[in-house]
Parts: sequence; C-alpha cells; structure tokens
Amino acid sequence: MANSLRSYLACIRNTLDAAMCLQNFPCQEVERHNKPEVELKTSPELLLNPILICRNEAEKCLIETSINSVRVSIKVKRADELEKHTGKKFLRFLSMRAEAFQVLRRKAIQGYDLSFLITNYHCEDMQKHKLIDFIVQFMRTLDKEISELKLSVNTRGRLG
Amino acid sequence: MAAVAIHQFAQCITCHAWSPDHSMVAFCPNNNEVHIYKLVREKWEKLHVLYKHDQIVSAIDWSLRSNKIVTASHDRNSYVWNQEGSEWVPTLVILRLNRAALCVQWSPKENKFAVGSGAKTVCICYYEEENNWWVSKLIRKKHNSSVTGVAWHPNNILIATTSTDGKCRVFSTFIKGVDTRATGISSSNDAKFGEQIVQLDLSSTWTFGVKWSPSGNTLAYAGHNSMIYFVDDVGPSPSAQSVAFRDLPLRDVLFVSDRMAIGVGFDCNPMVFAADERGIWSFVRFLDERKIAPSSSKYSSQFSEAFGKLYGQPKHGMNNDTHDGSRHRGGAHENCITCIVPMITAGDTIVKRFSTSGLDGKIVTWELDNVTDALR
Repeated sequence: MANSLRSYLACIRNTLDAAMCLQNFPCQEVERHNKPEVELKTSPELLLNPILICRNEAEKCLIETSINSVRVSIKVKRADELEKHTGKKFLRFLSMRAEAFQVLRRKAIQGYDLSFLITNYHCEDMQKHKLIDFIVQFMRTLDKEISELKLSVNTRGRLG
Repeated sequence: MAAVAIHQFAQCITCHAWSPDHSMVAFCPNNNEVHIYKLVREKWEKLHVLYKHDQIVSAIDWSLRSNKIVTASHDRNSYVWNQEGSEWVPTLVILRLNRAALCVQWSPKENKFAVGSGAKTVCICYYEEENNWWVSKLIRKKHNSSVTGVAWHPNNILIATTSTDGKCRVFSTFIKGVDTRATGISSSNDAKFGEQIVQLDLSSTWTFGVKWSPSGNTLAYAGHNSMIYFVDDVGPSPSAQSVAFRDLPLRDVLFVSDRMAIGVGFDCNPMVFAADERGIWSFVRFLDERKIAPSSSKYSSQFSEAFGKLYGQPKHGMNNDTHDGSRHRGGAHENCITCIVPMITAGDTIVKRFSTSGLDGKIVTWELDNVTDALR
C-alpha cells in the first residue's frame, strides 16, 4: 500500500513539475485584465490537455494546465460512513481557511474534494519546487489525518 | 565559458536591455516601472526610474545606434524614451491596440520597431516628424492568438512572429516613405506591407522566442512541448528541423553565431544547440555546471508534518530546508529564465557576451571564450 502511495505521489510530482511552466499572460478577452485562463476557459488554444492520475476508483488527482495557471483537484478515499463524515468536516475546515494556504481554492471543482489553483504570481513569489513539495506533502498528510480522526472518534466512542 | 557576473537587482525581473556601451542596464522589476542602473566603480547604482506605464512592463529594447529605449506594457501602450541631458523623455506611440502589448524590438536600421500584442496583431511603428510621435501600421487578422515574440530580419523588411496559436509566421513590413526598394533580398522586395511570406506549422502548442541568425538565413523558435525548431531557406520552400530535448520548455532563444544558438527557459539553465558540418542541429550541453543532488533519499526525508510545513515555513520559501532533491539548485539562476539579450556593438555578427534575466530577479552575464569551448 505504501508503495502504491509513493508511486502515485511521484507521478503527481513529476506531472506538476512539467505542468507548472507558467508565465504572466494578460487576458485576451477583457482589456487590462489578467485572469487565470484555467478558470476562464474562453480561449481554448491557451489550455493544455488535462491529466487525470488515478490511484484507484476513489482516489484521483486531476491536473488542468493553462498558460498562466494550473488547477490541481484531488479526491480522497472514503472507506466507510464515518470516514465520509469526518473527511467532509475536515476538508470543509481546510477550505474555509483557504487564504492561509494561498494556493488552495475556496471551493473544489465538481466531483473532487479539494482544489488548488496555482498562478504565475505564485511561481514568481515562491520557488516552484517548494510549491510542488507542499502539494505532495499536503496530499500525503491528508490521508493520514483523516484516518487519525477516525481512530480518535472510535477511541472516544469506546471510552464513552 | 561561464557566468562572469551575477547581480540580484530585484525580487523578479520580467525583461531587461543593455545600453549600446553595456555600462547601463534597463529592466522592469515586475511592476509598472523601468529601472536604469549604471555600473559605477564596480557597484550598480540606480540612475533613473522611467515611470509612465500603469501596468506591468512586458518588454524593453534599447537601440544600438540611436540610444533610444522602447518599452511595451500590458496597459496597451508603448513609449520611446530619448535621453535629453540627464533626463529620459518619453515620446508617445500611437499603437491603436485594445489589448496588452507583449513584445517589442527595434528594426536593424532603427527607423521602425515592432510590437506584438494580445490583440492578435503586430504593430509596425515608425516616426512621424510633423507630429512628433510614432505611428503604427497593423498586421491584422493573421494570428489566431496572442503574439508572443517578434524578430527582425537583418534586411530591415522581413519580420518573424511566434504566437500562442502554435505557428511561426514571416511577414513583409515594407512601408512606403520609410523603406527603400533597393535594400534587402529580391524576393522580399516585391511583397507589400503585411503580406505573409510563410507560415510554419511545426509546433502543436504555444511558440515563443523567435530569432533570426546573424546572417538571416536561419530562423529559430521554441515550442512549449520542449522542442526547438530551426528553419532554413525561409521562403516558398522552407526546410525545417525539430530538435526535441528532455528538459522543461524554453522561453527565449539567442543565436550566438550562424551555427550555434542558446535557449533559456523553465529549466533555469541555458542550453547550447549547435549545427554540425551537414547543418544538422542538436542539443550540445547545459551552459551552467550544476551540482547534482543525490536523489536516492528523495522521499524518506520528507516525513515531517505538512502542517508544520504550512505554518512554520516563511512565505517565500527562503529557508534552508535540509532536504532538496530538486535540480534547481547550484546554478546561476534559481527560477525560470525569461529573457536572453546579446551584448554586442553595432556591426558585430558573433555574440561573445550575453545576459539572461529571470523570475529570480538576477541578471547574469555570460561570456563565450570561443566557439569550441561551448561545444566541449
């Protein structure tokens, strides 16, 4: 299991390394504006083919790239009802604090649990490999955190 | 061959240009200003700040002979700056653009300049003395997306453009009253203004950084699919070569001679491409020797809590993390290189020195001792 996680994350890391070749690009539709093209989707030539990386049916990662922004959406596993519930609460907790994470999107895209939006401005302020490290690390701990939550709920239940 | 000078000018540099004698450098620190620095007794001093644009300056070019600076900005405007006494005085350019200006270059004779724009047009600008401004003629309806790069042929008539629609095009820019028919190659002489000479459809994705070789025989541009394209015999029957490489894509290209080119881009390290005796281009080597980090312990050392990483880490990622399996260390540049500029004087055909700038805010000067050195 640990090995499959490792190759899953390695795949995401390598894909992000290639996908995060971003540059400042002003909007072609609205004058004097500069918007993330991956959200706008008005000029199809500025978008690259999205990449879907799946570990299994439940866990997947969608990487959509455009000329000035990358959107990374992840879906985490939900083994049972309890995990579904705690996971939902936990992800909501994170999404509400999206500003603190800078690259986290407040709302995940349809069908996914969590979305990151990385623009060329993030790549200018921060080092690219640190950003990739952060996202991969985030995904690694997310699973762990959710299973720990489940464990502690179970322990509490047993004590009570 | 190596980096002879590295200087950190700002947090982030979008573009830069050298004065004709290379004593001054103009660059945009990723905002609406253009800073001019001069090297005084081994130290860089800020001399001027050109403050006229109100959005980020996307391109700067400093003319070799007439000592004029032209700037282009995302605010849809362009200015020509003239040094009068100790001041730089802007002259208005009537670009007639309704989108951002993305790239600019002086023509070899410096009587025209070209501006590529997000309005899918190219403006060819020339000076109108009666009104004391620069007017433009537009090449319209030829590009299907933003124009990311422009390059003048040495004959002062032909211009090559790259665009995010994946094509590279060559146009004639003959303007009556500005150009004379006697100059240039005979084939390009008959073409009217804005006539498309050739359209190269080699890349499947965005193209950047078009350049002509010093003789004007070869054209090179980079694709975002980690390819670089070399085109000979630009005209009715061009012959093209595509060179693929394994690293991240290029943003800009520079010919140092007719048989050698340097590419810079997202890999943070300039790449040398050269043509052999038969004219076959290939990737030769990286310009910057980099320390190779051991990559075996890439994952084992990362088992720290992500939350500690989130809150404990400074915003700009400047801390010295013990682990770094990345390849972006040990080189002259630490972030994407966006701009490569030759350091030549008027009349030079071989580039001995050039400089690169990037998102890490450094301007690095490189020196080529001789051509064989680069091929080593």
